[in-house]
This record gives sequence, structure tokens and C-alpha cells, in this order.
Amino acid sequence: MSRHLEHDWYPAPVPDNVVIGEGSWLYSTYAFVHTFSRRDEAVRIGRDTGVYEFTHFGLGPEGEILIGDFSTIGGAIFCTNGRVEIGDHVLVSYSVVFGGDPFAAPGDEGDGDIFIGDDVWIGTQAVILPGAVIGDGAIIGARTVVDFEVAPGCTVAGNPARVVKSPEGVAARA
Amino acid sequence: MSDAIRTHDSLPPGVQLGEGAQLDCADQTFKRFFSRRRPGLVLGPRVVVHTWTAFSVEPDAVLEVGEESVLVGAQFMCGERITVGRRVLISYNCIIADSDFHPHETMSRREDTIAISPQGDPATRPPLETRPVVIGDDVRIGVGSMILKGVRLGRGVVVEPGSVVTRSIPAGLRVAGNPARVVREP
Repeated sequence: MSRHLEHDWYPAPVPDNVVIGEGSWLYSTYAFVHTFSRRDEAVRIGRDTGVYEFTHFGLGPEGEILIGDFSTIGGAIFCTNGRVEIGDHVLVSYSVVFGGDPFAAPGDEGDGDIFIGDDVWIGTQAVILPGAVIGDGAIIGARTVVDFEVAPGCTVAGNPARVVKSPEGVAARA
Repeated sequence: MSDAIRTHDSLPPGVQLGEGAQLDCADQTFKRFFSRRRPGLVLGPRVVVHTWTAFSVEPDAVLEVGEESVLVGAQFMCGERITVGRRVLISYNCIIADSDFHPHETMSRREDTIAISPQGDPATRPPLETRPVVIGDDVRIGVGSMILKGVRLGRGVVVEPGSVVTRSIPAGLRVAGNPARVVREP
């Protein structure tokens, strides 16, 4: 059964291997023009999550995106042939890139995995790359490049990135 | 090649397309393409331009891209000349600019703010300071990087994601950070 979004300007239906949960909002099926994943579930969006304009799911044949509940994807580019998992109550700002490779391109996405916990907040134009395991409640500053583990509750910012705040207090400057 | 990529059939004048070059145009791709040069934009043979790319080219400026380069999401801001070599990759959310587009000197910059104000006359803007950008063959530019005016990237330079490159980089080196610094090979 083909599914069209009521408000959509783009004529394509929601692809069969995309699951959108109850109460969630997707701006347009234009988000899937480069979704070439052959998985049964290429994109799974939980309940009450908003996926807004300019978000783009560029997925190679093995690509997989899992987004939890009550999250806001303000306008992210996913370009991967791996797996990106995003938790609940996560805020992702504009022009954030989740890449399977530091030099990701359509058709050459790279296949490293990315994990984002619950209650994470990611600032505008941040770049999230394979190796990123972002703990619950962490904050990623604007334009920060993350390809490493971020402990729960920490704030990382800058390029090269550093921990500017941890749950125990403000980190000493390196 | 994905079927989402299509060749544009109504390119602005001054765009020279090499054999087998492919553009996936979006509304913004040529929105600020003002070059009066013929050609003002050269895309070499088999160049691939994805939908996130934008060519902002001033009236007297020229932008050239060498064969087999892949432009995923570069915003080119070209006031004079930007030259991209062959087999270059530029990933998502990058900016390549050959000018700061406003004067550094305070009073000139104030004049500029008046000239570009809603009721102003853009013809009265102070002249732009430009310094051409040259990107060598086989350079790879990671997600979210910026290459600023006067920068020459030598052959095979690797720009790590999120870098802001303000100085020229000799061939074969790898740079990262803001401002970008040379990093050792891993």
C-alpha cells in the first residue's frame, strides 16, 4: 500500500522500508531521493519525532537510520552505508552532517557506525562521524567534529574538539 | 550512478559543461551566478555536481573545475577566480571563498553596510579585495570545511572535516582544525 504525506509537495510516496511512528512529522518524501538502502527497515522514526526541512537520508545499500521518540531533527544530512542510531528527546540543529566517512559522498558513503544516546543536543553544522558514541545528555557545540566517545553529560566544542564541561564541573583547559 | 542525478537542460549563459559532466541542480545552484565572462563557469569532463552545491560568482569572476571532480556540497563564493583541479572531492557543507566580501577597514565597511542596505545602491559598494583560490589535483576536502581567500592547496592535500583553511598548504599534507594546522599522518 503506498503512503503519501498529506502536506507533501513532492510526488513520491513514503518508501516501503521507512517506518514513521505515531504522532511524528516528516516535512517531505524528498528526504528519500538518495535512499538506496535494501534493508527491510532503512529508516525508522519513533513516535512524536519531527524531521524537518532539508533533512536528507542518503543511504547506500546497507545504510540504516534509527531515530527514537520525541526527537527533533532540524535539518540533518545523513550520508552513510552504515548504521546511525539516535535516542529519545534528542535535538539536532540545522545542517548537521552524519557521515559514514569523513569524505562522504553520494555513492561513496562509507559504512562506519554512529550512536547518539538520549537527551543529546547537537549544535548547528556539527559533523558526526564513525567512532562517535555520544552518551546520554551530552551537548555538542556548533561546528564540532565528533569521531570519538563522548561521556554522558559532557559538553564538547571546538575544532579540534575538547571537553569544555563535564558533569563534575568545568574541565580544565588543555 | 543514481537516477537522482540529472543533467540540467537550461543552464545560465557562461556555463561550459565538459563531456559527461552531470549536474543535479537545485533552486540555489545558480541563484547567485552573475558572471558575465564567457565562460564564467567551466565544469570539466565527467564532473559530478550534487544538489547541495551553489555557484555564487560575481560579474567579473571565473570558476573552473577540472575533470572527474565531485562536488557534493560546496558553496563557491567567487569574486575573482577559483580553480579546482582534477579528481578533487569536496564533501557536504563546505565553503570555498576567494574574498571576505566586505572591507576589513572600518569606515569602508560602514560604507558597504549603507550600499547594501534595503534602500541603498549596491553600485556604490567599495571595491572587493579578492585573492584567487587554487585547489590542486586529487585534493580531498572533508565534511563542513572552509577554504578561504588566497589559499593554494597543493596536489593531494587532505583537509579533515570541519577545518577552516586560511593559509596555503604544500602538496601531500593533511590539515585539520580551526584555524587548520598540518597534522601528522596517522
